[in-house]
Amino acid sequence: MEKDGFFNTPQPWNSLFGMELESQVNEMNCSPEQLPNCFLSRNWDHSMDQSDPFESALSSIVSSPVNSHSGVPIPASENVVLKELIGRLGSICNSGEISNSTNTSCYNTPMNSPPKLNLSIMDHQIPVPIPGSLPIPRNHQLPPAPFPADPGFVERAARFSSFGMNESEFPHMVESGKVSRRVSNKQCFKTTELSIPIPGSDKKFSRELDNSMEESSLSEQIPIGETGNGYKGQNSNSNGRKRKAIPKGKGKETQFSTVSAIDNKTIGELEKEESDAKRSKSGEEGNGMEKEKEKEKIKEEWNRNQNQKQTKEAAKLPEPPKDYIHVRARRGQATDSHSLAERVRREKISERMKFLQDLVPGCNKVTGKAIMLDEIINYVQSLQRQVEFLSMKLATINPRTDMNMEALLSKDTRASMLNTMNHLDAPAQPFYGLVHARPENPLTSMMHHGSNMKSSQTHGFGEASAFWENDLQSVVQMGFQNQGPIFHGIMGTGQMKVEL
Amino acid sequence: MSPSQQPTSTNPSSLKNQFAHRFIRALKTLNHTKTGAAHDHNQMYRRSIRVKIASYTAMASVVGSRRAWSRAVLWKIIKRSRNQGLLLRKRKRRNPNPKREDFNPFRNSGQELKLRKLVPGAETMDSWCLMGETADYIKCLVAQVEVMKTLVDLYSIT
Repeated sequence: MEKDGFFNTPQPWNSLFGMELESQVNEMNCSPEQLPNCFLSRNWDHSMDQSDPFESALSSIVSSPVNSHSGVPIPASENVVLKELIGRLGSICNSGEISNSTNTSCYNTPMNSPPKLNLSIMDHQIPVPIPGSLPIPRNHQLPPAPFPADPGFVERAARFSSFGMNESEFPHMVESGKVSRRVSNKQCFKTTELSIPIPGSDKKFSRELDNSMEESSLSEQIPIGETGNGYKGQNSNSNGRKRKAIPKGKGKETQFSTVSAIDNKTIGELEKEESDAKRSKSGEEGNGMEKEKEKEKIKEEWNRNQNQKQTKEAAKLPEPPKDYIHVRARRGQATDSHSLAERVRREKISERMKFLQDLVPGCNKVTGKAIMLDEIINYVQSLQRQVEFLSMKLATINPRTDMNMEALLSKDTRASMLNTMNHLDAPAQPFYGLVHARPENPLTSMMHHGSNMKSSQTHGFGEASAFWENDLQSVVQMGFQNQGPIFHGIMGTGQMKVEL
Repeated sequence: MSPSQQPTSTNPSSLKNQFAHRFIRALKTLNHTKTGAAHDHNQMYRRSIRVKIASYTAMASVVGSRRAWSRAVLWKIIKRSRNQGLLLRKRKRRNPNPKREDFNPFRNSGQELKLRKLVPGAETMDSWCLMGETADYIKCLVAQVEVMKTLVDLYSIT
C-alpha cells in the first residue's frame, strides 16, 4: 500500500511538471508523510518534525532554480526539477538529522553511488563522521551543515547528480552493473541494492524510499505527462534512449564519469563532496567534457582511496558493448575521447619502444622517441648489412666446404654445431673443442690466408663494423686466449668486405 | 626477454636451430645446383645474393605466418619466383592487420618512414604494429646473424 502510495504520488508530480513548485513541495510534503508508515518511526518522526520548518526554505530553493531555468529547453528543466526534488529530499534528510542511514541513503541515492556498490562499500567502509549534527551513516552524503549552506550545496549536489541522471538515471540501482533505467526501475521495487548499515528492515525501507525517489525523479525527468503506472517502463525506455542519445560519442566517459560521480558520493567526505559539487557545478556551467574530467579526477581519487572491487565494478558498468578498450583519463588530463584514444595509442607505442630498447644494444640511456627511432633504424640497417656481408662470405666459402656441409648436416656434427651456435655469445668452450677436432690443414691454410688480413680488420668496416667488431673482438679475444688463428678466417673476410 | 604484449612464441635458441636447419639445407641445394664456378665476380655476386635470399627465406619460413614481416618476405619471394616463372597473376597484398587509419599525421615522413622501408611488410601498418614488427624483426635478424656468423666460422675453418 505504501508502494501504491508512492506510485501515486509521482503522478501528481508528473502532471505538475514545469508548473508551480509549491504544489510540488506540497507533493513532497505528502510523500514523507507516507514514509513513516514504511520506515522506522523514530527516524521519520525526526524528519517530519524538522521538515516543516524547512519547507518554505525548500520551496524557495526549488523555485529559484526553476525560475532561472524557465527558459531552458526541456532537458535542462527536467534536470532542474529533478535537482530541486532531490534537493528537497536531501534537505529534508539533512534537516531531519536522521541517524538511520536508510532515509539519507534513500534520499541520497540519486546523488550517491549505486546502491549495489554502496552495499559492498558499506560492508567495507567505516562510517565517516561528517561535521555537523548528523551521525552520518556511511552512505549519507549530504552535509549536515547549517541549513543556509544546505541549499547551495543541495543545489550543487542536485546539479551534480542531475548530470548523472541524464546519462544513467539510477545506475546505482542496478544489480549487476547494468546502467539502464529499466533495470534501475525494477531494482527499485525488488532488490536491496542500497548499502545500509542496518540490515533487514532498513533495507526494505530504503528500498521503498528508493522507489519513491525513483518515481519522483523519473517523473521529473520525463517531460511528457505519463501515467504513473506505465511511466516506469516508459521512463526506462525514454530515459534509456535519452541516455544513449546524449553521450553517444563518449558513452564510456560519461557513464564512467556518472558512476564515478555517484561513487564519489559514497565516500562521505564533506570536502570532497563539496569540491566535487563545486566542480560539478562549474562543469555543468562549462561543457560536459570538463565535468567528465572532474569526475574522472574524482574517480581516480576515489579509486585510490577505495577498494578495488568498487573500482572494477564501476569500471565494468559503463563498458560499451563494442570491443573498446576502456580507458580512464588521468588526473589533470583532457578527457576528450579523441585525446584519450591518442593517449592510449601513445602509451602503447611507448611501451613497445621500451621493449625495443631492450632489444637494441646501447639504448638503455636513450630517452625520447626520435632518438630511439634513430637507434633502431641504425641497428636494423646494421643487422641487414651484416646479413648481406655474411651471405657473401658464405657464398665464397661454401664451394670450398661442400664436404663439410654435408658433414655438418649429418647428425654427428649437427648437434655440436648447433650447440656452438647457441652458445656463441658465451665463451664457447665446445666451439674450441669442435675446432680442435678439425684437421689441421684447413687451419694452416686459413692461417696463411688470414695473416695478411689482420690489418684489414679495421678497414672497410662501415657502420656495421661498430657492432660487428664488438662481437668480433670478444670472439677474437677468446680466440687469442686459446687459438688465435681460428679467427683469422674471420678477419680474412674483411678483404671481401672491402669488395662490397 | 622483457615482457611485452606480443607473443614471443619462439625462444632464440629454437629460432636459431630451425633457421640453421633450413639455411644449411638451402645452402646445400645452392651448392649442388651451382657448380664451383664461383671465382667469377659476377657469379659470386649473384651467388651471394642467392645466399642472402636463402637466409631471409629460411628465417621467414621459421617464423611462418605469425608475423607480418615474415609473410611479406615470403610473399615477395613467391612473387619473384612467379614472375620469374612468367606468371602474370597479380594479387594485391592486403594489409594483414586491417585497422582503422592511424591518427598520426606524420606517418609517412621522417624516421618512421625509414623504419617502414627497412622492415619488410611494414608500409601499411600503424605505428603500434610497426613497433611490434620491428621488435620481432630485430630479434629474428639477430638470430640470423648469429647463425650465419657461426656457419661462416665453421666453414672458414674447415
